[in-house]
Amino acid sequence: MNVSPEHIELLWRYINAMLVTLGVSLLAAFIGMAIGFLLNVLRICYPRQLSIPYRLLVWLIRGTPYFSQLMIVYFGLPVIGLTLSATQATVASLALYSSVYFAEIFRSGWNSIAPGHLEAAQAFGINRWQSLRHIEMPQALIFALPLLGNQTVLVIKESAVASVITLPELTMTTGEIVSATYDYVGPYALLILCYWLLAQTIALAVRGCATLLTSPQRTL
Amino acid sequence: MTLPILQLRAVGKSYGTVRVLKGVDLDVKRGEIVSLIGPSGSGKTTLLRCINFLEAYDEGEVWIKGQLLGYHSKGRTPQDRDSEAVIAEVRRPVSMVFQQFNLWPHMTVLGNVAAPLVLAKKINKTEAHRLAGLALERVGLAAKVDAYPAQLSGGQQQRVGIARALAIEPEVMLLDEPTSALDPELVEEVLSVIRELAHEGMTMVMVTHEMSFAAKISDHVVFMEAGRIVEAGPPARLFGKSATPRIQQFLKPWLDRSLSI
Repeated sequence: MNVSPEHIELLWRYINAMLVTLGVSLLAAFIGMAIGFLLNVLRICYPRQLSIPYRLLVWLIRGTPYFSQLMIVYFGLPVIGLTLSATQATVASLALYSSVYFAEIFRSGWNSIAPGHLEAAQAFGINRWQSLRHIEMPQALIFALPLLGNQTVLVIKESAVASVITLPELTMTTGEIVSATYDYVGPYALLILCYWLLAQTIALAVRGCATLLTSPQRTL
Repeated sequence: MTLPILQLRAVGKSYGTVRVLKGVDLDVKRGEIVSLIGPSGSGKTTLLRCINFLEAYDEGEVWIKGQLLGYHSKGRTPQDRDSEAVIAEVRRPVSMVFQQFNLWPHMTVLGNVAAPLVLAKKINKTEAHRLAGLALERVGLAAKVDAYPAQLSGGQQQRVGIARALAIEPEVMLLDEPTSALDPELVEEVLSVIRELAHEGMTMVMVTHEMSFAAKISDHVVFMEAGRIVEAGPPARLFGKSATPRIQQFLKPWLDRSLSI
């Protein structure tokens, strides 16, 4: 097969679209992770006041499709005077959507810590805050790490929905190429490959983090 | 006469309507080794956990070096409790070795032993690591400082637990069935470390099912049942010819076994 200028242009479009997908998803995942972590720390610190609002939020966001949430953020918020660009709306809605999943991941991480580890901290005069910071958080993170990576991959795949509000990410770009060339197999095969590559990158990054987190240099 | 380092006066504890400790009196003098024995569910472990307020007792008094542990008034409701910081200060001379070791799995052996020094005693990291290294040397684990708990055998993990309890330079050590989670081969290495501490004059209160060990090492043996002390005294009396039928009955299988071997 000869490599024509059209091919190079096509490749270039895929690379650009991949960067849009990756950028939007990673930004949303990081914001979502931060919100989820915060939600969880608040939930631990104020169990009586916050456990019901927390459950309500999780129930509401997890129980509705991401598509509808994106629609409300992109088309609904302008009604109250808040107009977001397609990129902003995607990042905001994806961050919100993923935050409750991330919060639940952190929650399960915290629940996985054996009560004896906290008792040992208590018995040795380590206070509540130090225990949270030095005993619980590192353990919860190590436990949660693979799940965080998994959820990030899900965010990347969910970002395809943003094609309906014309965000020039992978799925939207592929759709355009398909409608211009009437070739379905080639572009969609490439699309699959692109998403797969992104997922592999995340998996590699997670493995790297895991090695870092458990390296002996991190001894207290 | 010097003040006992630990004084328990009519200590009681209830979970809901179940009263698991029913007024326990006990004095532990400096340098003494006290073993708590008795059937499962008799309240031995709960009593031990009340001595450092991991369990909040709700009757009586626990005094550590003349300071009342856990409460600032006559009442025993949660409102009468001292703050965490005050409790931590009073229990400072006391350290604990757990049945399930309770090492922190994300820290190395050295990190586990140094953590209480850095976090609770505010010793700088370099000095804490030096002290932790010394404690690990005493339990024969100087070579394992960089290992993680999961890479060690049960016996080694428990020795790390003992080193962690030693490093804070306690005046009393509480040991909660330190060998119960270990297979017979590993029990001896942990017992020999405890024996060594005993020879060095460490004050210890130990819950144990190792009768021969308790008989040899203890100054006092306390037999508990149903939340009460049934009999307390020197090992020769309890293990030899106790007048209490219940103790004879409890010890019979052990005596039979040691005679038949």
